[in-house]
Parts: sequence; C-alpha cells; structure tokens
Amino acid sequence: MGRTLPSATQAFLQEEAAFARFRRALRRTDQLALDDLFASSRQHLAAAQLASHALPFEVFMLSMLLEEHKEVLRLRQMLEEHLARQE
Amino acid sequence: MNTSLTGWLLDIYPNENDLTLWVIAEDGQRRCLHQDFVPTLYVDGPDARLRKLWKWLSHQPVPVRLQRTKRIDVFKTISTGFTLPTGGPDQQRLISVLGVDVLRPASLDALFRSMVNAFPDLIYYDADISLALRHAAAFGLFPLAYCRLQLDGDRVLDITPLDTPWDIEPQPAPLRILTLEPDCDPAHGEPQELIVSHDRARYCLSLHRHRSLLVSLAAILHRYDPDLLLTSWGDTWLLPFLLEASRKSGLELPLNRDAGQSVLEHKAHTYFSYGQIVFRGRQTQLRGRWHLDRHNAVLWRDYGLEGVLEMARVTRQPVQDAARLSPGTGISAMQFVTALQNGILIPWHKHQAETPKTAMGLLRADTGGIVYQPTVGLHRDVGGIDFVSMYPGIMVRFNISPEVPRASQDLEPSSGEPGIVPLTLAPLLNKRLALKSALLDLHRYDCRRPLYTSLASAHKWLLVTCFGYLGYKNARFGRIEAHEAVTAYGREALMRAKEAAEDQDYKILHMYVDGLWVQKPGCRTPSDFDALLSDIMERTGLPISLDGVYRWVVFLPSRQDARVPVPNRYFGVFQDGTVKVRGIEARRHDTPPYIKETQLKILEILSHAPDADQLGQELPEAQSYARSRQETLRRGDVPVEDLLVSLKLSRELDEYSSPSPAARAAQQLQEIGKTVSPGQKVRFLFTLGKPGVHAWDVPEPPDLCSIDLRRYNTLFERAANAVLVPIQQSVHGALDRQGRNLYLIPPPASYVPLRDPVALAAGV
Repeated sequence: MGRTLPSATQAFLQEEAAFARFRRALRRTDQLALDDLFASSRQHLAAAQLASHALPFEVFMLSMLLEEHKEVLRLRQMLEEHLARQE
Repeated sequence: MNTSLTGWLLDIYPNENDLTLWVIAEDGQRRCLHQDFVPTLYVDGPDARLRKLWKWLSHQPVPVRLQRTKRIDVFKTISTGFTLPTGGPDQQRLISVLGVDVLRPASLDALFRSMVNAFPDLIYYDADISLALRHAAAFGLFPLAYCRLQLDGDRVLDITPLDTPWDIEPQPAPLRILTLEPDCDPAHGEPQELIVSHDRARYCLSLHRHRSLLVSLAAILHRYDPDLLLTSWGDTWLLPFLLEASRKSGLELPLNRDAGQSVLEHKAHTYFSYGQIVFRGRQTQLRGRWHLDRHNAVLWRDYGLEGVLEMARVTRQPVQDAARLSPGTGISAMQFVTALQNGILIPWHKHQAETPKTAMGLLRADTGGIVYQPTVGLHRDVGGIDFVSMYPGIMVRFNISPEVPRASQDLEPSSGEPGIVPLTLAPLLNKRLALKSALLDLHRYDCRRPLYTSLASAHKWLLVTCFGYLGYKNARFGRIEAHEAVTAYGREALMRAKEAAEDQDYKILHMYVDGLWVQKPGCRTPSDFDALLSDIMERTGLPISLDGVYRWVVFLPSRQDARVPVPNRYFGVFQDGTVKVRGIEARRHDTPPYIKETQLKILEILSHAPDADQLGQELPEAQSYARSRQETLRRGDVPVEDLLVSLKLSRELDEYSSPSPAARAAQQLQEIGKTVSPGQKVRFLFTLGKPGVHAWDVPEPPDLCSIDLRRYNTLFERAANAVLVPIQQSVHGALDRQGRNLYLIPPPASYVPLRDPVALAAGV
C-alpha cells in the first residue's frame, strides 16, 4: 500500500539530507554540534509522526529545542546542588 | 633592393593606403616603414541578401575583394539548440560566410558602418576589431616585439617575431623617455613652470611666455627625439594647453613624430563598472611616438611604466591604448587574437542568450565564492594559504569556456578541445606562475624584484577581470553558465581544502573565496604546512601555496556590532616581519594620510615583537606613539595636506537628496566653474560650521582656524583603536593560563542581562 504522506523517518532523512550542503560548509566542530542536534530530534520521531504537521521541519526543530531545554534544566539543577553543597 | 632589419616594433597605425610601422632599429635609428595589409570581415545571412550585398559592395568607392569561404562559429551549436546534432561539433560549427577583404585598411570602419546601415539584417563577424590587433594576430606580433623585417626600401615585405610576449626577460628596447611635468596640479592651482627632463638633463620652462616655451620644447623634441612622452596631467591639461598655444602663435610643435598625421584627441567620459562609477579624463594620443599620462593611466600607481608596457605586450594592444583602457578590454583583445589566429569568427553582436533555468537551478547556480565568518580575535601561528590564481586556474585546468559543454561533475575537466578562454589564458597564467616562483627565489634586494612585481601585478589585473568577463553580457566570448561553473568549482575546491585541513586536525579560522587561514598547535614554520598543501593539491587538482605563516593575526568584528565578525577586516604580521592589512582604515582611500600613517606605524611598532607572547612589550611604545600623534593633531600641528579626505563622487550633483560631504565639496567646485563628473575624486577638508567641508581645489586657501579638529580626532581614535584595542585585550588577561587565545568579544554597552522570570513575575 502506498502512503499519502511520507513517514516521519523518511521526512526526517530528507530534511537532514537537504542540509548536507549547509553542514559541509560548517567548521568541523560545528558539524559535530549540528549532528548532536539532529540526533536529539530523532528521539521524538514517533511524536512527530503523530503530529502529522504540514511542515515537518518545525516539529524537528521543536524536538531539538526540547532536548536543549531538558539539558538546560539538568545543568541548572546540577549547578544549584553544587552551590548548595558549597554553602 | 631587399634588405633586412632587426629591431623593436614601436607603433602601428593606418595611413591613407596602407599601414605605417615605426621600428627602433638595433643601431638606434627610428625607422618609419610601410606595409600592405588587408583586413577581412565576414558576413552571414540568406543567400539572396548576400548576393545583394555583393552587388552593393562592388559599387562602393572602397576597393574590396569578395569570396565565399567556410569559418568556425563556436556558438553555432549553442544558439541553435542545446544538443549536438550528428556530424560532430566541428562540422556543425563550420558555417559558410561571405568574406570581404578591404584593400584600403583605413576605410574599414567607414565601409562597415555604411554596410550595417544598408544591410542591418545580416550577421557580421570580425567587424570591429582594431587594425593593430588584426596585424598582431596575422604576424604573431605585439608592441615592443623584437623582430626581423624584410624590406624593400621603406616597404615591409615580411616580419618575423624573434621573441614572444611570454618571455620573462625579453630583449629590452632602448626607449628614449622625455618627462614633462607642470610644477603643480593644474586642477588645484595655476602651474607656473614646465619641468622637462630626460636622462640627466633637466629644464624648467616658464609657462607664461608661450613663444619661448614652444621654441625650447620643439628644440628639445628635435634634439632628443623621444619615443615616449611621459607626462603628468598631459591628457587632461598639458598637451591640450601646448597644442592650443602652438595653434595661436603659429609656431609648430612636433609632438607627433609622424608629421603627416594629426594628434588624436578623445573626450572625457564616465561609465559604470563592477558597481563603481569610473571617470576617464580626456585623452591625447600621438603618432610615431607614445604619450602616456601618469594620472590618466589605468592602475599606474599599481604597476608603473613596466606594467603598462607588459599590459601592451601580452594584450597586443598599442601602448597608448593599453595604458588607458581597462584590463577587461585587454582580456577581450587577447581573446580576439586567439580567435583570429584559430580561424574562429568573432561575432559583432552576441546572439546567444542565457539558457532557461528552473528557479531551483538558479538558486543553486547563482552563488559566488564562499566567504566565511572568521573567528574574531587574535590568533597566533596561523598559516595563510591561497589557491594560486584560482579562477583562471580553474578555467585552464578544467577547460571552462563559453563554447565548451560543462563536465557532468564539479572539478572534472570538460571533454574536447581546449576552448577559447583556456587557450588565451594558459600562456598568461604560466607566465605569472613562472614570475611568482622566480620571485620566491630572488634575494630580497635583487634589482629584478620591482620589475617582476609590477609585471605580476599587471597579469593579476588581467586574470581578475577575465573571470568577470566570462559572465559579462556584452563580452563576445562570455556566457553566464561558464561564469557559474567557475564559481561552483571554486566553492567545491575550497570545501575540499577545508576538509583536507580538518582531516589533518587543523582549525579553520577563516576562508575567503580562494584562501584559508588555518591553525594547529606545533605548526609554526612553512615546512609544517607542506603535507597539508600537497593533500589539498591532490584533492582539488589546483595549485595552492603558502602565503606565509603569521606570527599573529587579528580578525576584527563589525564596527556596527562587535558581536558580528566581518570577512575582510584583519591585520597580522608574517614571520619575516611584514605586515598585512585588509579592510581597516589604512587600506581605505577616504582615510586622511595622517591617520593612515599613524595606523601603519602602530602596526610597524607591534611587528617588532618576535611572537604573540611578546606583544605586551611593544604595546606601551605603540600606545605612547599613538598618544603623541593624537596630541599633535589636537594642537593642530599637522600639515593641512595630510588631513585631506578624497572621495569619489557617485552620481551627478543634482541627484543627491541629502548631499554627502564629497557632494558638498563638489558643489563648491561647481560654483567657481570647475566641472565635476561622477566617478571623479573630490579632495576636501572637514571644517566647522556650514557646509562642513572645504574643497581643496578651490583657489582660496582654507581658513586654518576653521578645520574641524574634533571630527579628525574621532576618525583618529577609531583608526588607532581598531588596531590597539584587540591587542590590548589579548595582552591583558584575555589569555588563559595555558596561553590559549580566549579573547572574547566584549558585550555591547547596552547589554542587559536576562532577569530571572520568577523574580520578574514577583515584581522584584
């Protein structure tokens, strides 16, 4: 059976491929950071599938943001604990 | 009786019936010779129309010889569809045309003009090529060619060149140069004297007594018989002034060596090129000897007389033209000669248009070179590496030419015979490479160094423009697709270079179209970079060289926003102590000389530090120098000439809605009756009150008390800080304990730290 919409994984791979030229022109350190971002948005492919958003890349970007924010929260907590121990 | 003569070709131009040639013979004689020469133009069109043209031509007063012949139109395959029909490209390109031999060369232009008027529907080839170029193509000659002539009396039977434009050190021609210079800039004041000099002789002639001036000058011209009149403001002022004086007094002045010809004058004009307005002053050209005006020669400041002569030699244009025409015209001339020599037709008008493209295709293709955002700050031990003449190199190496189909992959050579562009460029590129490698081996004080440098600089301009002309809509051998192919290959090459560097653990600090700035701990001598260079060369197939290793280099942020890096504003010091600056005030034309000097001197003081760690020891001296210069400026102890700002006028005066300082200065000039055209430079001083400027070229001297010293101080501080602040920051505490470069951009003054959202909600 054919699908009317590409699966989220397909869409993700397409979007990632579309950024190949962008990625190539980045400094290598930045390339690795970009790979991290894409990897983090991959963790939410299932949610993206359910969202069936017309512009899938927005969902992928939101997923990246989500993971980034989780990381910020984690670091903040670590910092607070660290400061609390010092006092 | 047949004789032979060896010498240097000085000048060629048409006379009544044939061509006049001036030759400097080896025995020092200047010989005026004549040669028969038949230029040909070609016409294509329906047979019936060509038959009509044939009939029309046979009734013209100019004698012609007509024949049907086959020639190559390289664009034939492109303009009639995009796939190659069977029969091979060469068969397709061969077209049958009517050849028109014009037996009186001087009448060629006039005949062609009336031909176009009578038959505007036909396609014309080889029609508007100058006789000098046709002659050069026919005999393999060029200005100052060392050649052997077979003569019958004064008539040239044959010429054989004994050298080529590509020799690095040709037989030097014994040119006699007479220098004429008024004692001041005629645009600024009224010259009183004319300084005439040659070899060791030097005369001062009063410009007020016309009779004695003309008699003395004529005597000098007779006695010395110069080959070259080298003047200052000769085109725009001196020669017209002398000719006028001679006409008024009835005294003859033999400016021309050929007494039978009159002096040629061209009017001034302004044109738009590469986003810039360019002004060309009026011209005065001589016959039998050359006239060059230092102030009206293109790029004279860059390469001087040697460069002008080199330009003439390699482009085959007459010296007086080569000096005054842009490098773009030079590149076209070179392509015309290649075409003429290979039997390729030069269309009078271009017929092929851009091939249709999709929006996505345009998006992809219409990109220039890669320009990176550098990592702002001071970096130590940085290798600056450059592709050698990248764009021309790409054209030659990968056979990119408007008529050659592009290869299917980037950085792969196109198949087939070399096209016109690579054929034209290859010898020039090779000569430049040979000069560059010769320069590397020469001792720092070798006397050939300045000569080689100015030759290389002349080539540089030709090679730079040849890329632009590939995409120029009016260039006869230009095509936008070829232009795009070059940039695409350039981007690919730079990407591959970046990957090669990163594979070898280099850090990429910056990339700019054809150059990279890379850094790796432990790499501080040129040989440390050898492995990288050879890897890049292997991956791209293009020659790359080390521009030098910087002891330190600073990439500057934007002046508007200190957080934004800008690609072309940096300065640094190479290991041999030479300073390289780009984009900062010292390189800008509108910076007053006093400020420019200060900035360069600060850099020179800093360059005494043997490495970045010892910058701190030089910094106090640089700072106190800057302070003392600033104090001198505040006291007003600076010669007023050193505060002159010179800016180009970008449009007509009445087109300014709010006049810039330059426009206001030009307004003052206009009020006293001096005309100022767009593209012309206006020199002025900043003054207090209205209108805020004082044009330098108005007769009354500026009021020294009204000079706006505060404004100059602002400019001064900006220039001094641009170089001092980054150094200060890197010396005082911006380096961490390991000596790593941690110079971070300071936050802007208006920076407000984000507040805690909880506290914000609580109204704290």
